[in-house]
Amino acid sequence: MKVKLWGTRGSVPSPGPETIRYGGNTSCVGVTLSDGSLLALDAGTGIRNLGLSLPDKPSRLHILLTHLHLDHIQGLVFFAPCFRPQTEIVIWGPASPEASLRDRIARYISAPLSPIEVRELPCDVSFRHTPESEWEIGPARIRAASVAHRGPTLGYRIEDGADSLAYIPDHEPALGADLDALEDEWISGFGLAQGASMLIHDGQYADAEYPDHLGWGHSSLSHALSFARRTDVGRTVLFHHDPLHSDEQLDRLSEEARERWVADGGASEEIELGAEGAELDVRAPAPSSAVAG
Amino acid sequence: MSTASQKPLELILARNLMSALSTPAFLVDEGGLLVFYNEAAGVLLGKQWEALGTVGPEEWGSLFGPFDQNGEPLPYDDLPLVRAVRDDRPAHAEFEIRSTDGEQHRVEASAFPIQTAHGSRGAIAVFWPVAANGAGA
Repeated sequence: MKVKLWGTRGSVPSPGPETIRYGGNTSCVGVTLSDGSLLALDAGTGIRNLGLSLPDKPSRLHILLTHLHLDHIQGLVFFAPCFRPQTEIVIWGPASPEASLRDRIARYISAPLSPIEVRELPCDVSFRHTPESEWEIGPARIRAASVAHRGPTLGYRIEDGADSLAYIPDHEPALGADLDALEDEWISGFGLAQGASMLIHDGQYADAEYPDHLGWGHSSLSHALSFARRTDVGRTVLFHHDPLHSDEQLDRLSEEARERWVADGGASEEIELGAEGAELDVRAPAPSSAVAG
Repeated sequence: MSTASQKPLELILARNLMSALSTPAFLVDEGGLLVFYNEAAGVLLGKQWEALGTVGPEEWGSLFGPFDQNGEPLPYDDLPLVRAVRDDRPAHAEFEIRSTDGEQHRVEASAFPIQTAHGSRGAIAVFWPVAANGAGA
């Protein structure tokens, strides 16, 4: 299993000379499965470039949405396969007691926010609420579960052979909780991430910034590190960068993350900040790579 | 997938909220198993949650009561938390409980089910101590 980070930014697109290296596009990750098929995780503005990279031929694509905040769906109407009649697109997302997934997405893909309506999309698009139990797409076994964020929000675990990817881009597991003191079963997202080969996780705030954003649905660096350590993942990619963070600030955050991870007994190559355009192998961790604690 | 079981998010968030309250509060899962109570409830009962551990429905009744105004044990099925889980609707009652030091406390209890897109996940109950004159303490 391989992933490509097409958008790593959180909240709002942040293009500009100060965000060139980590990128300004919002959440989107392409996952290439062992049979060569593709899953898209979220449809932030990064999905526009993902769409442009795909060949113009009949295909079936699955898009797994964590939630419907704009930074996770804004790229949908600029996703080239949506405008190809020979393409079938299945969009998965969280259920809500208020309205169907289709109707909630249609609030964005409709006037006055969009020049087109969902029914006008040339592709064959369908919308599905994620089931409670595991399901399969091609060779992948997929599980979705609610995680701590504002509004109905999912995290995903994707397993393909021995490799496993946990994707929890918007997550505040430490809201009202001490991650270091809680039992495993009481930690939001634990069951999705436990022992995963790779974890892509919210790391939006520096520790000093978190108190001013308590309850906004995102993690501080300390929380992200604690979550990764508790879940014993093989490799952690911090994601959903704050739109106010420049490349230089993210470099400093990356350095701090590595230093603290190593100080806790991990290896420096086990943690990094996600950079737009990065292509990463998702491989089952070797037994010796587990972090104590 | 071979990952450990995890409590539903709704129970996790309920526990986090309850932990920040000074009102005694109790949490049961969809099977009626008591899975948490907060520090204020621990003060009322005379025993903190960490010292008690997981307690099944019948054990709960024998540990702390509850009793009616005549000192008779209340039927388990009549407890608000049990009714909230069983009937999927809010429930309210007034009764007495016995703390570990033997002292009895009169309380009002309100319970409501925790409903999700995938059905009920359990129930939460808050206890409100009642003063001797009947007013809320």
